[in-house]
Amino acid sequence: MTSLDVSTDATRRPFSGRRVRLGDLILQGVAGLAALGSLVLVGLIAWKVIQGARLSISTFGFGFLTHDIWDPVHDKFGAASFLYGTAVTSFGALILATPIAIGIALFLTELAPPWIRGPVTALVETLAAIPSVVIGLWGILVLAPFLHRDVNPVLHSVLGFIPIFGPPGTYQENVFTAIVVLTMMILPIIASISRELFLSVPSELKEGALGLGTTRWEMIRGVSFPYARGGVAAAMILGLGRAIGEAIAVAQVIGAFTGISINFFNPGNTLGAQVALSYTGSQTPLGESSLFYLALILLVFSIVVNLVAQLIVRRSSRRLGIAR
Amino acid sequence: MPRNGKFVRIALGLAAVGMVASLAVITAGTASAKTSSGTVNGAGSTFVAPLVNKWMGPVQSQLGITLNYNPNGSTGGVQAITTHEADFGASDAPLSQFNPTCTTCVQIPWALAATAVIYNVGHGSLQHLKMTGPVLAQIYLGKITKWNAPAIKKLNKGKNLPSTSITVVHRSDGSGTTFNFTDYLSHVSHTWKSQVGTGTSVNWPTGEGEGHSSGVAGTVKSTDGAIGYVDVDYAVVNHLGIMVMKNRAGNFVQPRAAGIKAAAALDTHPAKDGSLSIVNPPASHKYRNAYPICTYTYVDVQRASGANTANIKRLISWAVTKGQSYGPPIIFEPLPKAVVTFDKKQIKKIHS
Repeated sequence: MTSLDVSTDATRRPFSGRRVRLGDLILQGVAGLAALGSLVLVGLIAWKVIQGARLSISTFGFGFLTHDIWDPVHDKFGAASFLYGTAVTSFGALILATPIAIGIALFLTELAPPWIRGPVTALVETLAAIPSVVIGLWGILVLAPFLHRDVNPVLHSVLGFIPIFGPPGTYQENVFTAIVVLTMMILPIIASISRELFLSVPSELKEGALGLGTTRWEMIRGVSFPYARGGVAAAMILGLGRAIGEAIAVAQVIGAFTGISINFFNPGNTLGAQVALSYTGSQTPLGESSLFYLALILLVFSIVVNLVAQLIVRRSSRRLGIAR
Repeated sequence: MPRNGKFVRIALGLAAVGMVASLAVITAGTASAKTSSGTVNGAGSTFVAPLVNKWMGPVQSQLGITLNYNPNGSTGGVQAITTHEADFGASDAPLSQFNPTCTTCVQIPWALAATAVIYNVGHGSLQHLKMTGPVLAQIYLGKITKWNAPAIKKLNKGKNLPSTSITVVHRSDGSGTTFNFTDYLSHVSHTWKSQVGTGTSVNWPTGEGEGHSSGVAGTVKSTDGAIGYVDVDYAVVNHLGIMVMKNRAGNFVQPRAAGIKAAAALDTHPAKDGSLSIVNPPASHKYRNAYPICTYTYVDVQRASGANTANIKRLISWAVTKGQSYGPPIIFEPLPKAVVTFDKKQIKKIHS
């Protein structure tokens, strides 16, 4: 801990031993203000959201979380169906995206010939740069009809014994479409972070393993995976955070239905999508306040997810003795 | 890494250029908004948007006013005028339906049209399907789920209805069209009235939600077996099937000029707040040709409209008189004389 003490000491008096110059002072002031500004902004947002949600919180309390109704006419609101929709879409996307992303990362670091790596890496990162509304539009016009016509019936006939792959109804826009769209959106996040992690595996370790006569797969399993495990977990959680918070693309393809259905081929809704869809749709003060309540739940989720990701990174780097 | 540094410098340079450019545009924009007085900005109903779009050209050439309209739904329109974000808000639902609402607004009925029940079944071979209010309510309650259900078959004898499932489509945003549609269903179905009710957004028992009229029309167009509701013009433009609705007199009526005109006669003397209701006219001889899902649609303006008052008043006076002649090609029926007279009085209440 001594080294840590030294570093904090240095930050407290950054210019000790040097003549204080005006330029440095200004720089310090401007940068400090910027940092402070971000803190104030987060605080203000949280405060406004809590203030907005107050009416709904005092009316419904925690019962809000267990009721799956959104009825502006009778002024009754609950978040259960959006919580369920958020959970199944984001975890569903994570389950689909993780193996593919790790496959991409391994291919790009260990298996692909060098002349392929550059272009494919660039392409994967480009996928992350596509605006979500564009993915959503493509989701409505191309992906949803394709899944509905060619994929969902096959999934139902093969995996129909699992309730989530129930009979494909008539709705092109459904929970499963949203899962696939989210998968595409979080795939590049997990893939590019995992790629960097696999790249950071010391080559002496890898060469040592190969020198001991392991196959490539054994080397990956024995050296790369344990080395990168914590980081990959953090990447997954960051992807999960993105999936939980995504609103527009999901709103475009999920079908905006309030209610809980086990069958993924039925329409549903998520916290983010509901806020995005009905912020102009609240007819009553209680309805508007309930939207803030949804936003508050979403805010808490994303903060928790981010903290967990940071925690995992810190623990795994400590375990490996990497100074970060 | 020198190569990296160069990239960063280029990227930063581009970002800086972008920021300067957008700043320039913003300042130019505010400058022009200040200098040219002939701009009126509105927002709201997507139902009335086809008519407002028709008005833009003539308003520019005849009045010298640039009319901007953001079709973000009726609830969005009422919000925009309540917060003074726009010069006018357009809504198909009367102001009394909103809470919070604009208490300092004048409500002016400025257009008249019908909500069409649209469908896509049988790949265009099934034209002019017949429908009644109670059966429509059953479909939107999720009780009737197949196109060849006995209740639909009975209304359409001789038509080869397939066993396709019905895909129910509704609006997901706050919508005056939804208000008109659910108001009608509440009139014809007790179950609907007690279980769901009337509103600009409701707790739908079934179906999928789409944003704006264009979203509903687009989804119905691309989904075999779909049913939805939009302003007639969206149905015509998208070549969608339009239900022929049974009215209380027992006649099956299309949402066309004659049907709307007959329904409009039900209420031509607005209440004190300017609202009118012409849904589901009674069975009397006078309304034998009335289409049952018609609505007046309103423009809402702040009584104290500030610096732009003169232009707003000129625009709306034009809209309720000359503007009406642009309606019929897109199935907006001209306002009855009594309503225009009322509107002129309402417009006088607007001042700077």
